[in-house]
Amino acid sequence: MNPVTLNKYQLIIMADDKQVVLERILQVTRYRGFLINGMNAEVNTGNNIATITMSVSSERPITLLIDQINKLIDIKSVKVDNSVAQIKQHSA
Amino acid sequence: MTKSKTLTGGALLFEVLQEHGVQHVFGYPGGAIMPIYDALYDSDVQHYLCRHEQGAAFSAVGYARAAGTVGVCLATSGPGATNLITGLADALADSIPVVAITGQVPTAAMGSDAFQEIDIFGLSLACTKHSFQVTDINELEKVLHQAFEIALEGRHGPVLVDIPKDIQLAEVTQRLNKLSHLKNKVKLPLADISKALDLLTHAKQPILYVGGGVGMANAVDEVRDFAEKTGMPSVSTLKGLGAINPDNENYLGMLGMHGTKTANIAVQECDLLVVVGARFDDRVTGKLDEFAPNAKVIHFDIDTAEINKRRAADAAILGDLKGNLPLLTMPLYISAWQQRLQQMNTDFAWRYDHPGDNIFAPAVLKTVSDLMPSNTCITTDVGQHQMWAAQHMNFDDPSNFLTSGGMGTMGFGLPAAIGAQISRPHDTVIAVSGDGSIMMNVQELATIKRYQIPVKVVLIDNAKLGMVRQWQDLFFDGRLSETDLSDNPDFVMLATAFDIKAKLITKKSEVKAAVEEMLDHDGPYLLQVKIDSAENVWPLVPPNTANDKMMESV
Ligand SMILES: Cc1ncc(C[n+]2csc(CCOP(=O)(O)OP(=O)(O)O)c2C)c(N)n1
Ligand SMILES: [Mg+2]
Repeated sequence: MNPVTLNKYQLIIMADDKQVVLERILQVTRYRGFLINGMNAEVNTGNNIATITMSVSSERPITLLIDQINKLIDIKSVKVDNSVAQIKQHSA
Repeated sequence: MTKSKTLTGGALLFEVLQEHGVQHVFGYPGGAIMPIYDALYDSDVQHYLCRHEQGAAFSAVGYARAAGTVGVCLATSGPGATNLITGLADALADSIPVVAITGQVPTAAMGSDAFQEIDIFGLSLACTKHSFQVTDINELEKVLHQAFEIALEGRHGPVLVDIPKDIQLAEVTQRLNKLSHLKNKVKLPLADISKALDLLTHAKQPILYVGGGVGMANAVDEVRDFAEKTGMPSVSTLKGLGAINPDNENYLGMLGMHGTKTANIAVQECDLLVVVGARFDDRVTGKLDEFAPNAKVIHFDIDTAEINKRRAADAAILGDLKGNLPLLTMPLYISAWQQRLQQMNTDFAWRYDHPGDNIFAPAVLKTVSDLMPSNTCITTDVGQHQMWAAQHMNFDDPSNFLTSGGMGTMGFGLPAAIGAQISRPHDTVIAVSGDGSIMMNVQELATIKRYQIPVKVVLIDNAKLGMVRQWQDLFFDGRLSETDLSDNPDFVMLATAFDIKAKLITKKSEVKAAVEEMLDHDGPYLLQVKIDSAENVWPLVPPNTANDKMMESV
């Protein structure tokens, strides 16, 4: 079998604090073919903005996921955190 | 001036619907939506009682697609809500603006596995563009406005609003001003106009690839103008049919799995694809790696996520097609290419001289198409008859050909035709259905009966799940597993039971008179057309094969 290159990315997502927003992000991420390696979500109670950091891996380009998450109505922004090195995993 | 008045959540719903110009809704009542149905009793909004919530959802879809507005459907909690899901999935796949209202058990009972409680909000995540659950009566008005706004904003889609029973009953003061517009996300305009101009002026063999987005962007005029002024040969997806004038001499027909030979060869040979409101669906591209292998791509779309999703764009033009396409509309000098394709159009034209007495489905659909009044709206179900309708009928606008494209949902045709007919009472509406598909929402014949909706049904009866049978014959060694329908009910008797005039024809010689009789009939009519069960749809590009390697017969 050809080796599969899994790229790892860290995303920073800002969203309106709605109960369902995490579920939406999880659903889109799984459906579009990205594995979630870790996640952290916090709400700023002052402005009701949630900040979600999520590390994901996939063979697919990260722009595919960013564009889809961006389409969710409650999302304010999605960025790749470039300070976290992208790790390429090779597996058989 | 801001007026205000006090009313229940249920009454507020209909006030807001009317503010958005909604005159007709499709639905089915039940326990958890009773306060809304009680408010309906006093409302001017006209409700059509469908006989299954799936029928209500598809009628809303048909209504939206035929009229270019938002379709609205209502259902109760639990099974009522789950019955909407197929219709919502269909609307999501085809980007149709629909607002679905579901009743929910009272907030105090939510999460207790109450009677007819299902987490439709959770279920909606994968089959709607967006969804809301209203747990505070003071949010209801804002949410309802947002539902309409989201359904129509950017790429259209279905929105679900789940309203618990106590919220429907609660009293609230209506603010009567459209509040709280969505915060538009700042998106960078992505418009490689100069790159696109460069590609366009250097192309020798360009093709215009037209999708369903054209109709939804209300850009049929702009696309026709582009096709005329550039002279660019064009091909259409299933959902794009009607966007290009079928009389345009450089129009090559539908591309893809059951596309015309000319369209598929032209796309494989082109050096530039100008993509308008289309998304390189797998039914269009065949084997993606070999699709239009020599072409540069200019991609116009409203949805950023479609750019570079399946095929990289050399120039991406994001935003409103109506404004953007004129920027590239100019004469091109491609006469050698045009002439070659026009010759192929002639050489590979459809033939209707089918031997024998049996009825040839393509010829029937061609006859219907030739005889139907202008601005007739055709809906289809899914299968061989759908592909024959796409191949052999002409449509003067995308809103006149309603077919389940992305989802390919059997059962779409009849309820969609009902919705279309209600939105356009003065136009002829014809559902082209199959003997398998019609049974999937056959209960909607009762809706036709009740409201005397003058929908015509052309039932292409091959006594088979024909499309699956064709694949079993071609790709599964003729092992015909569960595709025989030779014990179908008597469709004429069935229609008659619903007071619908019906007729069966079995011979070629009967076709023309029968079609005329159907079209001349004032009320609903079902024409059952018996065809040979062994007929196949040609051409066919086998799965995962390049589009020029089509099969043309066995
Ligand atoms: C809801 C649903 N279930 C199953 C299918 C798979 N399917 C696609 S075409 C087809 C056969 C349709 O039969 P019929 O309506 O008689 O049309 P025909 O192909 O015979 O013209 C089936 C079962 C589908 N598209 N939709
Ligand atoms: Mg059939």
